[in-house]
Amino acid sequence: MTETVVVTDVTKRFARTQALDGVSFALSSGVTGFLGPNGAGKTTLLRMLATVLAPDQGSLRVLGRDPSSAADRTAIRRHLGYLPQEPGFQRGFSVFDFIDYVAILKELAPARSRHDEVRRVIDQVDLTTVSGKRVRALSGGMRRRVALAAALLGDPGFLVLDEPTAGLDPEQRLRFRELVSRAGEGRTVVLSTHQTEDVAALCHDVVVLHEGRVRFQGSPQQLAALAHDRVWSSDTRDHGARVAWRGGDGMYRNLGDPPSGASLVAPTLEDGYLLLVGHGEQVAA
Amino acid sequence: MTWHLDSALTQGYVEGSLSGARAASVEAHLLACEQCRESVAAEVPATRLASVWVGVQNAVDAPRASWVERLLGRIGVQPEEARLLAAAPSLRISWLLSICVVMGFVGAAPLSPDRSTLGFLVLAPLIPVLGVACAYGRGVDPTYEMTRATPYPAGRLLLLRAAAVLVASIAVMVPLGFVLSRGWQPLGWLLPSLALVGVTLVAARWLELPVAGAAVVGSYLLVVVAVVADRQDITWIFSGTFQLVWLAAAVGCAVFVTSSPAYRAAFRRTS
Repeated sequence: MTETVVVTDVTKRFARTQALDGVSFALSSGVTGFLGPNGAGKTTLLRMLATVLAPDQGSLRVLGRDPSSAADRTAIRRHLGYLPQEPGFQRGFSVFDFIDYVAILKELAPARSRHDEVRRVIDQVDLTTVSGKRVRALSGGMRRRVALAAALLGDPGFLVLDEPTAGLDPEQRLRFRELVSRAGEGRTVVLSTHQTEDVAALCHDVVVLHEGRVRFQGSPQQLAALAHDRVWSSDTRDHGARVAWRGGDGMYRNLGDPPSGASLVAPTLEDGYLLLVGHGEQVAA
Repeated sequence: MTWHLDSALTQGYVEGSLSGARAASVEAHLLACEQCRESVAAEVPATRLASVWVGVQNAVDAPRASWVERLLGRIGVQPEEARLLAAAPSLRISWLLSICVVMGFVGAAPLSPDRSTLGFLVLAPLIPVLGVACAYGRGVDPTYEMTRATPYPAGRLLLLRAAAVLVASIAVMVPLGFVLSRGWQPLGWLLPSLALVGVTLVAARWLELPVAGAAVVGSYLLVVVAVVADRQDITWIFSGTFQLVWLAAAVGCAVFVTSSPAYRAAFRRTS
């Protein structure tokens, strides 16, 4: 499969914080999820993929182009949709005004077809009934959907979504999954999230970042398989477990090296992720 | 209902070939008659209906132009660029009003007329610089991060907004100068201001615009404080001879900005 994003030995430092430390990976079309705890470097990496931040060292190639060249950067941006972690909105703009403003920046023209495209993306994120309302008067989840609509303008071939499901209710999240899985057909979508369910439901590829380094890249099934034979169930907390928590059924789910005779259970993607980034502390019930 | 549209009338209305009075009469009837509405609806081609519907949507959804956009439109700026300019935080009416209020306080301060005028002269060059610094950049433009990821040239947006804010600031400050300077050098601040804005734009080639603006404002204030602390007469920086220095600085910066490859590339539009 053709590689659409190639990141080679990228480092980035902010003052005393080493945000990325020798990160390398390659992505092909489809949906790739970036998992990692806060401060793992996900947002820094996504900002680089969105061409708004340059690495200190290392190189990137996005859609076959080099973002360090101004001409290539502009060419990448013509095929890019970007949802930042904390999108801002112009004061006084309605939903339609704001998305139209971004559409102008994306050089969509003429006005009539641009307005048609604005209406299309507003409908895609299910905000048609509030398109005339001021963005700042909307709830956090709705504002996130406004920014998502702006990212979808022009049907971009490369979508960078930084925590797109933050603040969405379960129904909106389902709708979002449907939207992204459609967008991932023939395009490259990268998203960062704390929600392992989103990754399991959407992504064909997962990259786990921890302390600025890539700790894992593979399919969700491969991530889950890391916890094969390392998840067991018990009716009391097993103090030998690296991570343990009590489920809704009252049973404890333990991760780590199981004692002999433990009742092993099938691992999930979350189990594999927790084993990769867990520090050995026990999760309270 | 005593009458209904016959097929010739329906066809004429659908094709738009009826006279104005007759079409108005048909429309008045359609408002009250469901049966005729259905027969007209069946005759209207789907493509025409769709284009009418799009026209209605465009009329309803079309972004409402702000006063800045309307003003820019009147001087020939394209609606799209007018919208990008009007989004500059320092082109809001609240910003321009706050300039009037702040400078009004400076002019009305309980000081001797000469000192109050001097206060205006010293602070006035900073107003356009602050406006330009707040026109575009991280921390001042809420959509900056998203804007950076679009193909629209950042340098072009920066310079267009800077020019619009500069013109608006001067338009507000010139009348204030005549009112508050009591006839003494009412335009003495103008060339210093243009020079400081020029230095800000030159520095923005390497720094974020708000950072460049803050550096220029800070440096200017340091010079003023140093001159005043040395018990020197600050008015010399607004004197006729020194105005030539400001003019030379402003022209030099303008030449740098217009010849800078990065800025020139930003104005070389590609498809």
